[in-house]
Amino acid sequence: MIISPKHIFYIIALIGFILLPQLVTVKYYLHLSILALVWVIAAQGQNLIQGYTGYVSIVQAGFMGIGAYSTTLMGLHFSLPVWLTIILAPFVTAVFALATGYPSLRVKGHYFAIVTLAFNMVIFIVLMNFSALTQGEAGITGIPKPGGENGPIDFSNREVYYYFVLIVAVLATAMVALIVRSRIGQILISIRQNEDLVGAIGIAAWKYKLFAFVTSAMFAGLAGALYAHYQSFINPEIFGVSQSLDAILAVIIGGSATIAGPVVGAFVVVFLPEYLRFADSFRLILYGLILVLATIYMPRGIVGTVTSLWERYIQQDK
Amino acid sequence: MIEIIQQIINGIAIGGVYVLIALGLTIVFGILGIAHFAHGSVSMFGGYLTYFFVATMGWPLLGAILIALVVGLLLGVLIEFLAYRPVRKASHINAFIVALGLTMMVEGLNLEFFGHEQVVIPTGFYRVFNIGGVTIPELRLYVILAAALLIVAMTLFVDRTKTGQAIRAVAENRDAAILMGVNVNTIPIVVFAISTALGVAAGVMVGSLFAIAPGIGEGLVVKGFAVLILGGLGSIPGAIIGGLVLGVTEALAAGFISSAYKDVIAFAVMILVLLFRPEGLMGKAR
Repeated sequence: MIISPKHIFYIIALIGFILLPQLVTVKYYLHLSILALVWVIAAQGQNLIQGYTGYVSIVQAGFMGIGAYSTTLMGLHFSLPVWLTIILAPFVTAVFALATGYPSLRVKGHYFAIVTLAFNMVIFIVLMNFSALTQGEAGITGIPKPGGENGPIDFSNREVYYYFVLIVAVLATAMVALIVRSRIGQILISIRQNEDLVGAIGIAAWKYKLFAFVTSAMFAGLAGALYAHYQSFINPEIFGVSQSLDAILAVIIGGSATIAGPVVGAFVVVFLPEYLRFADSFRLILYGLILVLATIYMPRGIVGTVTSLWERYIQQDK
Repeated sequence: MIEIIQQIINGIAIGGVYVLIALGLTIVFGILGIAHFAHGSVSMFGGYLTYFFVATMGWPLLGAILIALVVGLLLGVLIEFLAYRPVRKASHINAFIVALGLTMMVEGLNLEFFGHEQVVIPTGFYRVFNIGGVTIPELRLYVILAAALLIVAMTLFVDRTKTGQAIRAVAENRDAAILMGVNVNTIPIVVFAISTALGVAAGVMVGSLFAIAPGIGEGLVVKGFAVLILGGLGSIPGAIIGGLVLGVTEALAAGFISSAYKDVIAFAVMILVLLFRPEGLMGKAR
């Protein structure tokens, strides 16, 4: 195997992530980093359907909500151990994704986006109003950490949880990389480029689209579950449409259809609003403006733009 | 029985609003191939503006609506010019992302100018008619009439005038339209002007029937798109029938099942249509 600059970059990035808790002195930034890593998982899923397959789904936060509520409720009502409910949560989400993906993947482009957005609204409405199960707007508090009260690893320690989420995020990223390099991934990319042609050569595109949609939902479910056990508190507010837009934003700003893109994008999406806090109500306008400008002038995202700059630099050297 | 008629009338009023939103979305989509997601927020901007002119400045309602229409129209044309034009040749995903960004900006603009408070446009039409046991609020009747008038006017414009013909030509075959001497650069401006005018009218109706608050626009635009899916993409009769079906279903669901879940039921209808008739109620089979 030839080691390319790309691999060196990945290794440096990984070392950076491992050292991060030691480098960050402000506790709050560690907290944000954990949230950003949770978003990396969700954004990697979003990238699979949006970046590679070319279908913009606006339900990622809704699926995070299903993951978060299912892990919490399974723990609460069946008193299952936390690690088990975290593993089960993506599968519960997958069931919902199968049921919603089948009808919605019948329409393309914008209309797919709108239908999935409607799903997110439905999930939000149900979480808000089905109080008997979800406790409505007030939310559920006291969600236990993994590992029990006196387990060998203390997950209530922020640093520990950071590494826990980091491992999951790295695995998730690796999994997307593997999927993309496989035959399935190649078909997904072909669907983005020319869906009719994919059908014409005898590949049932809908199966692959459904696979991408369900897998992306499972990533979101996992991210939601990790979020729930980290914050120990969930309510419907954080699983609304605007958070789904954040997932899309993460993919676009980071660089869609790149492996590193969602990682960069997730950190931007979590940290940028913090830096724009001074702008207060202008924040939404600024945020929208950045999105519009980035899409018009930098449609390939940060990673895409940096890669092409780097390639141009190498070319000049030769 | 009276209860059912009552709810159907309520449904027609809401449905009329949905039709106006959906018509605006469908002509923009026909011409530019863009899902104009910011449409709902622009409509709310018009509603807010009308409220501001009536409640704060004390202007007469009709004058306020007219001025709001003109300002909203300018905003719509500006959006086309500054944001949608640059991404016209880009992939549809990018155009949609731009639309999402615009939605955030217009929502932010609304927050900045008009605050978080929920507002209701004071109209002064608070009489209630009683026809054979069915009570019809005066306002609701005017909303239905105004919506019907606008729908007819828009249909006539697209069907009968030279400009309307040009719009249909561009929607059908852009290249052929260019060859026939249609100026394809001015058509989008005309389309956005019509679309935004209908949107602002819908915003005023929502603001006087119910209320305007942050986030309402988003829900409205999703309903508009649901109507398009229901009625059939790009079909004007489809938008009209789809809007009325959605409005009446929602009103009946709110009246007889549960008002908290009325949106869920409306979306469930949309999903059912997708499952059994993906081309929509009035769409042509592909």
